[in-house]
Amino acid sequence: MTETATPKPLLEIKDLAITFSTPDGPVHAVRDANFTVMPGETVAIVGESGSGKSTSALAAIGLLAGNGAVSSGQILFDGEDIAHASEKRFVELRGNHIGMVPQDPMSNLNPVWKIGFQVKETLKANGLAGDNPKERVAQILADAGLPNPEVRAGQYPHEFSGGMRQRALIAIGLACRPRLLIADEPTSALDVTVQQQILDHLDTMTSELGTAVLLITHDLGLAAERAEKVVVMYKGRVVEYGPALDILRNPQHPYTKRLISSAPSLSAQRGDKHEAIVDEIVPGKVEPLLKVKNLTKIYDIRKGFGKKEKFTAVDNVSFEILKGTTTAVVGESGSGKSTIAQMVLNLLDKTEGEIVFDGEQIGNLSEKNLFKYRRRVQPIFQDPYGSLDPMFSIYRTIEEPLRIHGIGNAASRQKKVKELLEQVSMPASTMHRFPNELSGGQRQRIAIARALALQPEMIVCDEAVSALDVLVQAQVLELLDELQREMGLTYLFITHDLAVVRQIADNVCVMEHGKIVEQGTADEIFDAPKSEYTRNLLGAIPGASLI
Amino acid sequence: MLSFMLKRIAQLIPVFIGATLLVYFLVFATPGNPIDALSGGKPMSDATRSALEAQYNLDKPFWVQYGLYLKNLVTFDLGTSFSGQEVSALLGRAFPVTARLAILALLIEGVFGVIFGVIAGMRKGKWFDSTILVASLIVIAVPTFVLGFVLQFVIGVKLEWVKPTVSGAATWGELFLPALVLGLVSLAYVVRLTRTSVIENKSADFVRTATAKGLSRNRVVSVHILRNSLIPVVTFLGADLGSLMGGAIVTEGIFNVPGVGHLLYQAIQKGETPTVVAIVGVLVIIFVVANLIVDMLYALLDPRIRYA
Repeated sequence: MTETATPKPLLEIKDLAITFSTPDGPVHAVRDANFTVMPGETVAIVGESGSGKSTSALAAIGLLAGNGAVSSGQILFDGEDIAHASEKRFVELRGNHIGMVPQDPMSNLNPVWKIGFQVKETLKANGLAGDNPKERVAQILADAGLPNPEVRAGQYPHEFSGGMRQRALIAIGLACRPRLLIADEPTSALDVTVQQQILDHLDTMTSELGTAVLLITHDLGLAAERAEKVVVMYKGRVVEYGPALDILRNPQHPYTKRLISSAPSLSAQRGDKHEAIVDEIVPGKVEPLLKVKNLTKIYDIRKGFGKKEKFTAVDNVSFEILKGTTTAVVGESGSGKSTIAQMVLNLLDKTEGEIVFDGEQIGNLSEKNLFKYRRRVQPIFQDPYGSLDPMFSIYRTIEEPLRIHGIGNAASRQKKVKELLEQVSMPASTMHRFPNELSGGQRQRIAIARALALQPEMIVCDEAVSALDVLVQAQVLELLDELQREMGLTYLFITHDLAVVRQIADNVCVMEHGKIVEQGTADEIFDAPKSEYTRNLLGAIPGASLI
Repeated sequence: MLSFMLKRIAQLIPVFIGATLLVYFLVFATPGNPIDALSGGKPMSDATRSALEAQYNLDKPFWVQYGLYLKNLVTFDLGTSFSGQEVSALLGRAFPVTARLAILALLIEGVFGVIFGVIAGMRKGKWFDSTILVASLIVIAVPTFVLGFVLQFVIGVKLEWVKPTVSGAATWGELFLPALVLGLVSLAYVVRLTRTSVIENKSADFVRTATAKGLSRNRVVSVHILRNSLIPVVTFLGADLGSLMGGAIVTEGIFNVPGVGHLLYQAIQKGETPTVVAIVGVLVIIFVVANLIVDMLYALLDPRIRYA
């Protein structure tokens, strides 16, 4: 590091405006943005999707999509305006001056090249491969916290877990010791405990190397914990900019205030609780609506040449859900939580155990009874982009279950669809539109309306809010809560996000490797966690030190 | 990789048996007696007839005939044609010609197809891309025999750049024009396939990451876009190699190429069942082997398949 602590900023964004030209005319993605990153400093840009946070950062490394361009203002990197720099200049800057760690570890490594190759070409492109590139690659991977780096270098991305891929991407981003690292939601696709490890490691590495970090995130809690300064962006404008703790403790802009009150991580740290609706129901006296007993799911994994291996996805799981309450099943990816949801929905056959709904065994239902069961239990899935048929109008999507179950006639069904849309706070005119015309939050509202159409007693929410921005997430959770109060719905809520659990659940089951490691009321789990694993999960929620 | 190869080879056995069985059955069920075809419809004594039937195994039940045929096929004893020539000798003369033609055609469609496809994909919406799209559509729409005659007339007869027909020797140079005609339609498909694949891959996240690493544009295209885009193209080319090896009846006819297609056509016309079945059997083997090569290439290009 040749840099000394001069007060000269490393990156200066001055009155930056970025415009995308689209067939519908120009879209102003970023307007009048101003902020500064000093050498060695971590600055976080916080905002929801479409706020312009990624766009601002990508402009600084010359990676705007083809139809986007800086329309005015300056991007000064080490005093040089690179807002309109040539591709050649950017090729020189990228890698060894400005590095990037992208968002999604699953799609950001080329699946057909070995990890080592992908690190090595980074070094080569920047003339830093040295005499023994193999050793250098192993060293870089080891620095990023990958065990067995020599072996790992010879493997392909599909042989890595999500967390390991993200470590490889961090290794690539930092391989050439850039002075500025753009980290675009580097951990939002990962489990909380992995997220914590990786961010800790990134912190250590960047402070050792003296790298400045421009951290892009939607999680204000995480931003405040990791960055010295925070830039809050909303609809393409910087609405607030300053030291992280000042912003968190004394937000000025109404949007920042809303962000702080809705961020699940922060509200979980504050201990905002979900209020139970059914205090009067005492366990034991009331027959639970759903009873899961010794549920087990074993998969056969093919190992080539007819060899098979057993994999236990769900291992002897038992829990009960009382009518009108919410039970959250929490766990990291691979813990078996979604497998439980699928078995409860009877979309997947169980290997052993019992699922009893309202006194009736699920699993050996006749076709007729299964049809009835489907009416009483409805799902809401994670991805509102994938779970709505793009060729169906909103009306057809919501009306379809009614039609299949032979409820009412055309006129009464249309009335019902209108009512349902009203219930999820969508205008009735939405029914003539198609999913691609709606935002993620709106689509999830439609998915909820569709689930409600048959007046089910229980709704299985499989990561129903994970794909949504915090504010939208808060709105959808509120909606689910209201509906529960109005209609006495029972929720089985599957999530990886403990922070969300606090906002919605009465009871919690914590899962690890297919087993329930701890279950109890939300208060018990959050205030007095018994198992080590639960404590780790709780400790990994960002923002703990801030409230 | 070895276990992957063995698995693929094992899978070929049922494919081979299924395909030959189907072909044999179809020919067996075709109306008309091959012995009548041999005699040219002239009356024949019963003794001669049964002797001939015995010679060609036509007196035996279907399964025995098929079994003998399979046995002969794997030992490359292909029998004799009605004119008394060894079928293996006939094939031995025709096959190298067809192989040269197929390789030339495959090279033309592979090399030019991928190059044009990559350029068009990288410059989506620009004039080169639009021209390529229109041109490839025209090539796909026009039947091969029209294309063949037009090119033969323009390049061979009017411009006299090459000889309009192929001599018995069928040299590489003479085969260029027929190979071009033969490969042109597939070339159009390869261009379109490559183009779509490149467009899809160039907006992939890993391509952006590769750019962010500081790689030059050329390296991003050649290392990160090209290899990934070749995966579907290779599948198509491999399947095409199989059909090219089967000879092209129309193209070989236009340019008078003494290849497998030509041979097969003559055998069918004369109703020489044993010859037809022998040739088709060999073609099945070639097709199956070509597919095996594709699978290997596929696994070589995409590591995820190797380990799946």
